[in-house]
Amino acid sequence: MANFFPRWSNFMPLKLAICAGAIAFGIALTIAVYGYGIPHAQPVGYQPGQPIPYSHEIHVNQLGMDCRYCHSFVEHGAHANVPSANVCFNCHGPNKVKSDSPLLAPLYDAMAIDQETGQSTGMEPKTLEWVRVHKIADYAYFNHSAHVNRGVSCQSCHGEVDEMKKVYQAEDLTMGWCLDCHRSPEKHLRPMEEVFNLDYDAEEWLAQNEIVDSEGLVGEKGQRLTSQEEFGKFLKVHWDVQPKESCATCHR
Amino acid sequence: MSKRVWNHPEVPAEERDVLVWRSAGELDGSAMFREHLEREFPEKNGELTEEERELSRRSFVKLMGASSALAGLGLASCRRPESYIVPYTNAPEWVIPGKPLYYASARPTAAGGVPLLVTTFEGRPTLVAPNEDHPDSSGTDAFTQASILDLYDPDRSKDFLKAGKVTSKADFEAALKESAAKPGKIGFVFGEDDSPTRARLVGELKKKFPGAKAYRYEALEANRAEAALGKGNRLVVDFSKADRILSLDCDFLGLDETGESKGYFERRQGGSHADGKLYSKEVAPEEMNRHYQVEAAYTLTGGMADHRLRVTAGRVAQIASAIAAELGVSVPASGELSEKEKLWVAECAKDLQAAGGNAVVLAGKRQSAGLHQLAAAINAKLGSACAKIVATGRGEFADFAELVADMEAGALQTLVFATPANPVFDAPADVQFKELLAKVPTTIHLGLRADHTARACSWHVPAAHYLESWGDTRTASGSHLLVQPMILPLHGGVGELELLSAFLGDGSLQLGDEQTPSAGYDAVRNTVQLQPAAWTEALKNGYIDASYAEAEATGATDQVAASLQTPTPSKDALEVIFAADASVWDGRFINNSWLQEAPDPISKLTWDNVAYVSPKTAEALGIEPLTTELEPETKIFGKDVKNAPRPEQGEGEKAKAPMIEVKLGEASLKIPVLVSFGQADDTIVLPLGYGQGRDDGRSGGVVYDKAAPVVGQVGLNTGFDAYRLRTSQTDYLASGATISMVFDRYPVALTQEHHAMYGRALAREISTDDIDVHHHHKSYEEQLKGVAKQGMDSHMPPNTSIYKPNDTEGKPLISDDRHQWAMAIDLNVCTGCNSCLVACQAENNIPVVGKEQVAKGREMHWIRMDRYYAVHKDGDQDNPEMIPQPVACVQCEMAPCETVCPVNATVHTEEGLNAMAYNRCIGTRYCANNCPYKARRFNFFDYNKRNPLVPHNLNRGPWGKKQVGDGKHLQRNPNVSVRMRGVMEKCTYCVQRLEEAKIKQKQIQRKKALGVDSTKMTVTAKDLRIPVDSVKVACQSACASNAITFGNLLDRKDAAVVRAKDSKRNYDLLNYIGTLPRTSYLARVKNPNKELTSIDKNVGRATIHIH
Repeated sequence: MANFFPRWSNFMPLKLAICAGAIAFGIALTIAVYGYGIPHAQPVGYQPGQPIPYSHEIHVNQLGMDCRYCHSFVEHGAHANVPSANVCFNCHGPNKVKSDSPLLAPLYDAMAIDQETGQSTGMEPKTLEWVRVHKIADYAYFNHSAHVNRGVSCQSCHGEVDEMKKVYQAEDLTMGWCLDCHRSPEKHLRPMEEVFNLDYDAEEWLAQNEIVDSEGLVGEKGQRLTSQEEFGKFLKVHWDVQPKESCATCHR
Repeated sequence: MSKRVWNHPEVPAEERDVLVWRSAGELDGSAMFREHLEREFPEKNGELTEEERELSRRSFVKLMGASSALAGLGLASCRRPESYIVPYTNAPEWVIPGKPLYYASARPTAAGGVPLLVTTFEGRPTLVAPNEDHPDSSGTDAFTQASILDLYDPDRSKDFLKAGKVTSKADFEAALKESAAKPGKIGFVFGEDDSPTRARLVGELKKKFPGAKAYRYEALEANRAEAALGKGNRLVVDFSKADRILSLDCDFLGLDETGESKGYFERRQGGSHADGKLYSKEVAPEEMNRHYQVEAAYTLTGGMADHRLRVTAGRVAQIASAIAAELGVSVPASGELSEKEKLWVAECAKDLQAAGGNAVVLAGKRQSAGLHQLAAAINAKLGSACAKIVATGRGEFADFAELVADMEAGALQTLVFATPANPVFDAPADVQFKELLAKVPTTIHLGLRADHTARACSWHVPAAHYLESWGDTRTASGSHLLVQPMILPLHGGVGELELLSAFLGDGSLQLGDEQTPSAGYDAVRNTVQLQPAAWTEALKNGYIDASYAEAEATGATDQVAASLQTPTPSKDALEVIFAADASVWDGRFINNSWLQEAPDPISKLTWDNVAYVSPKTAEALGIEPLTTELEPETKIFGKDVKNAPRPEQGEGEKAKAPMIEVKLGEASLKIPVLVSFGQADDTIVLPLGYGQGRDDGRSGGVVYDKAAPVVGQVGLNTGFDAYRLRTSQTDYLASGATISMVFDRYPVALTQEHHAMYGRALAREISTDDIDVHHHHKSYEEQLKGVAKQGMDSHMPPNTSIYKPNDTEGKPLISDDRHQWAMAIDLNVCTGCNSCLVACQAENNIPVVGKEQVAKGREMHWIRMDRYYAVHKDGDQDNPEMIPQPVACVQCEMAPCETVCPVNATVHTEEGLNAMAYNRCIGTRYCANNCPYKARRFNFFDYNKRNPLVPHNLNRGPWGKKQVGDGKHLQRNPNVSVRMRGVMEKCTYCVQRLEEAKIKQKQIQRKKALGVDSTKMTVTAKDLRIPVDSVKVACQSACASNAITFGNLLDRKDAAVVRAKDSKRNYDLLNYIGTLPRTSYLARVKNPNKELTSIDKNVGRATIHIH
């Protein structure tokens, strides 16, 4: 009996499969890149939209507000709270700053106050839901107050928030990243007065303020400190900063 | 599956005379018991059950294949989910998210209010602790600790009911208005707690409604003592002055609370806690109190006693009158006493006489009015300065008998129940309370549960929990405590004061909301009459200084004779003792899963009640072989064969107790029976409060009706209802009961051999008197010196561990120079009451696993409350010593668990903690295998999310019923991980509290430096060390007896824990295996009467070796 299928057809299914596979792979790769590869989907650079397009750049850089005006519990508790609506309302309440801006409508809804008349609407307050940008796992109990009270600035973890029109995640916030700093805190320590100063630059600061290592903690006795590294080491010894690396420090 | 056997050293010859056991099976020493003990977990624990086997490997692979395919399709799981931060709209004052806020409040109880400090997170109360600023503060018991769970009980009453049918609040309010306008003759039934505001409102109600009457009723408060002390009066004992204590069947440290027990425990420490400085010196025998106990069945108080006389409850009065006669109180001659009893009585009386004003006699609640009169007469004769009679505000209220009479006579048109009791269920059976209730036209029930009474009344009003409502109460000595709400009523409950205020007003309920306080608030403010500043201060402190007025005893003492005669029980006419249950009290905690799962402190039974009989009675009645024989011999072809098919019993999952039928008069009850050591022969103890609803065909109790549930999911099908044997004449004690065998068995979840530790000298006990060791008298000093050497500890080999305590550079691994945590547990004052166990459960988000899982040995309590019995070979075999020992993770410096963890999920911190990184644990359970203390617990299922109380729910995996959203999650401590299935967990010394304290210390350093140039500031390790003894762990703060001390070893002698560890009584558990535990124990000291040691040979000998 003659061959029913010609010889070239022997490898046909395989070839078809490879082609189909290649196409599928291509499509999957495209989806993966667009879906997951671009910044908004990755931890670093994650920059979601917010119900009110609040700009840190305006409030901090232009108006000079302190972090603690809104994030008021950062020195006292584990969480650096997002301000409650009444805090925003201190400035943006009726007949105050930008009170007629349509961008503030969600705020007025949250306070159940009519934006035009400034009277209570009598409606159920519609709570503001800010999208979380910085998220660490539930089982890690990070404490803000333990850090900002010991000379670690907001900037070390959150980046240059004062420059951000829309907040994004600047560091990857993984455990390895945490441990990097816990192992060598000198890279991040700064005078406690400067913790909330996001314009701080160690070298500039040291140029203006003379810090002399009189006990020889870092290098030679009486040497003037000039770099972050030296300054950090100096502060670490001075303040007895011993970041823990054991599990129970963050996990309970 | 057997664990690796450690060859424990020989028991020293001089300690071999003491026989030790935990359970009947262990005493019997059967092969099956040994096999059980050698297993890592009770039978089937590490293996698959029938049900689990159904989910075969094949179907598992199928499911996994399908789920990974689905995961591939979705891919969504890789993407970061969007989550939200939802701040307050108007931030409430003081609230800092994630930080606790503490409020002073109080829990009203019949024995006197408990001053509390309540922890709240963002408005959710999560934990109660004693308010230590209160002068009467005396710790908390397990009930108080667990009462917070009642607040979140998903089966709490949420709806108004009209004749048992759900109705609206408006409906009730309309009816209330009518009632308040024209109630006719109205009566109010309250609990036995004393609330000044309630008393004031009742006074006003009596003015508004002429003929209004107030009653008080709780099932287990017969107020017999009032016959001797006068109506509404109570005895307050100042234990700090009491050198000699004679307790006549009074469980004053356990279920018969008489108020503050702090003084008792301080005196128990024999001056070592003088001037509030803990462990400042050794226990001095002359400063210790001596405690005599006469009782029928072991109580926690009996366990603490130096001399315990085991007699039937009916004979307690006889012993008492013999003692009274010795002391010169004129009483009629008591019946015959045995030689031993005569000696006991004579010496006890002599001892009391010698102490004179510093001696005190207490009579138990269940004993007759006559005995209370006798006790009062003895106290008067002795001139006892420790026993004070005070007049409470409860004298105004009529008692239950009067209520019954009034109801029978049809003298009431409206009756309001605000008592925490459940009279339809718990009133004496002969009263027929349900029928009586029908004679009152309008009945209103206010309660937390829609229970039997709620459904029998014409109206039921959901009550507010004490953490949700305003109120006040008084401690046992009369200090005025304020009860303030922590949260608005979760289900719109109504407080007692709100309801009373509605009757006083026009009948409209004034409930509070965010803006306006409730009527209860106004009522309390009007009672206390304080200016705003003083009121704020009082609320902050939680109390207002006050005390009860002293009263004169009005009960005549010459009537003593009549009621003291009781028939002598025999095996055919047993004495029945109705007892409060350590888990459900009188039944009100039936829906409290923490209490249900907390093992009974003595029998270690969970989730049920059973009848208890002494071993001899069990033998006489033919029950004994069934309860202890774990490997029966069966005749096969006329030969006794040992390897006969095993019955469905033993320990673990298969533990099944035989059923008996108790007949008492007309009534009978089928109930399982267990042997109880130290119980008087020919008595049977029936704990009350269980069996409130059933749908599995068990005998007794109310048949559960889904449409009208009287118990919640927790309480359904638990235990047996002993209330129906109880009549008004025999409300605590009855005689003439008979027992017959029922050929049935009932599964019981006993935890006494779960996580069984074995080794040498686990718990240690010494005596202030000389003890006879192989004809050599050892003095107290010698014994004290010998504590650390007991059980071959003096022959401990040098540490041969291959794991060294230094890193590669020779630096110690446990290196922190600020904190080194340690704990000491003092067995001298530990009663074994479970308070720490429940507090730990509340603090650390420990799940409840349900009866079936407990039976398999999977209970999750981090603190295991061991209870051992011990007898000396010459001692009374029927009256063993009982010694409790709480064991949690001891935080070994050379921890065996750490070396076997393949993923480093359990590692040491620099501060000496054996930490758990739950998220890292993969569940190999190697650590639990290697733990010699058996302190680790494994989550076999996702107990936190899957409700273990729904049958077969745990095996359904993702399809199982979830618990989230039913309310209990609101109780969780946000600073502790909620553990998932497959994760090992254990005590870590409340590490969340330690971290919190350390961080607070850092904040303080920063605040100190404000205004100073921070670069010039020097912070040292000392600055960063938390103040001495400033942090308390959950179990420590809950403990009523200060048995747990915790602190920083680096504080040296300033820290109580260091002083405790320097005590000669201090020893390490399993010292000889070289684990260097951070938790150490202090030996118990017994203070026997020299003249009685000839008959009480067990005293001071309970050093526990488990083989």
